[in-house]
Amino acid sequence: MGSRAVKIKRSNIVDIFKFLAALAALAWLITRGTSRLGYNWQWYQVPQYLFTIKAGKWMAGPLMDGLLVTLKITAWSLIFSMVFGLTAALMRLSDAFMPRAIARLYLELIRNTPLLVQIFFLYFVLAPILDLSRFNAAVLALSLFEGAYASEIFRAGIVSIHRGQWEAAYSLGLSTFHTYTRIVLPQAIRRILPPLTGQAISLIKDSALVSTIAVYDLTMEGRSIIADTFLTFEIWFTVAAIYLVVTLAMSLAVGLMENRFAIRS
Amino acid sequence: MRTDAVMKKKRKITATDTVFGALLLAAVAYMVYRVTVGLNYKWKWEVIPQYLMRYDSAAGSWVPNYLLQGLFTTLRLSFWGTVLATLFGTLMGLFRVSRRLFYRLLGRTYVELIRNLPPLVIIFIFYFFLSDQIMPFLDLDCLVRAAPPAVQRIVAIVFATPQNMAPFLSAVLTLAIFEGAYIAEIVRAGIESVEPHQWEAAHALGLSGWQTMRHVILPQALQRLLPALAGQFISLVKDSAIVSVISVQELTFQGTQLMASTYMTIEIWTTVTLLYLVITLTCSLAVGKLETYMARSHT
Repeated sequence: MGSRAVKIKRSNIVDIFKFLAALAALAWLITRGTSRLGYNWQWYQVPQYLFTIKAGKWMAGPLMDGLLVTLKITAWSLIFSMVFGLTAALMRLSDAFMPRAIARLYLELIRNTPLLVQIFFLYFVLAPILDLSRFNAAVLALSLFEGAYASEIFRAGIVSIHRGQWEAAYSLGLSTFHTYTRIVLPQAIRRILPPLTGQAISLIKDSALVSTIAVYDLTMEGRSIIADTFLTFEIWFTVAAIYLVVTLAMSLAVGLMENRFAIRS
Repeated sequence: MRTDAVMKKKRKITATDTVFGALLLAAVAYMVYRVTVGLNYKWKWEVIPQYLMRYDSAAGSWVPNYLLQGLFTTLRLSFWGTVLATLFGTLMGLFRVSRRLFYRLLGRTYVELIRNLPPLVIIFIFYFFLSDQIMPFLDLDCLVRAAPPAVQRIVAIVFATPQNMAPFLSAVLTLAIFEGAYIAEIVRAGIESVEPHQWEAAHALGLSGWQTMRHVILPQALQRLLPALAGQFISLVKDSAIVSVISVQELTFQGTQLMASTYMTIEIWTTVTLLYLVITLTCSLAVGKLETYMARSHT
């Protein structure tokens, strides 16, 4: 048994090296292939778009400004998507027909059309009607979109609360409102929080689409730098790396949160 | 909370219904007021049909115009994208459940990389790479142009017209690489959902690892995957809107072009949205049917 375990471990180490070799080969292939086709790699140009040092002071470059805008859009959209999501979930769970119908219409409309079309619709159609700015239209589009998905998470969380809790609350004489705020939502929130954080990661990724309406987020900054300098690969790889750092960090946070909020039996 | 007693009760209009109905009406009324008075918008719904279909006087028949052409391109993109993504996703899904760490690492890296990056960024990177570096290599345009007219016509219906071939194929490949990561996870879940004693039984019969996978596990897994794959097709219909940013002439791209030339923003985006809804809702209905059919055939 002992020698077998050692054998498996050794083959794992070999596999890791094989994997690293494969990655290196891929990188070499891309660099070699592109430069043979006349692509001029200029990685040294990239740092100035991240940070510049002027008179001993660090100044954020356009890419960092873009990241800040991306995070700002994500944060606002997250807040509003919670509002839309919770409202839609409560409306769908309502006894009355009208709120259920409206919520259903909202969900079907959002979940069956592309986000890009929704962004265009909001920016070109609704923004002039409601007098929204570019940034606000982007936030509204993203939060309406993400809210539709969040509402299902909220609904699942609320429905997952045991029926006995409702009955107990009613028998104690609590109103529907108080049952929700005092009994059901506090219990539902711990089941809801981990998937909602996952939703926040989707939001960061989806926010890249607002670059299509010229909101200067990370993607748009990348596009405009490329239009000026033709550093296509370098800038896109940098932008991708920045997104990756943010989303992977958040994935890690979700993992930790899932452990923290795990319901111990 | 709805209880059974409430559900059985006859539907009647409650105070909540009136409040929500009034709110909805007020919102609609405000919009109509803003559009007609605030923006002084000139409605021109009557010109939309001509962008769907137009009369070709040379051929003497009705042919699809911009919007329907765009819709067909969207469907072609989604179809070929799903086919390629399924092949690619199955391979990567097999990598993900492999016993060798090397393959697991490869599969894991691919899936994590794609799923943690914005689709738009992936599309920009791959599209540039494919259309600028790989496509000129293959020189498909010449290949298609050299083919006999009958073949060209079939290619134009199934894929794209010769002049649109390179961007179309780049877009299909990009979408396949992107969607493949999601399909890989579906395939992995499907393989892991097959009961372990299927493996044991196959081993007991003397099948090798690969034979077990190919003859025992995969057929069962793929059958279970079918509804999920169909759902992924619907996702791809929606995700394919993104390739409009790289000027592939699908529905959203045609919408932006028409809007730039006619300024009929409200009519065009409403029509585009409705066209997408028709496709996705029809597909959802079909997937629902498929799911019930498969659930019935399994029991």
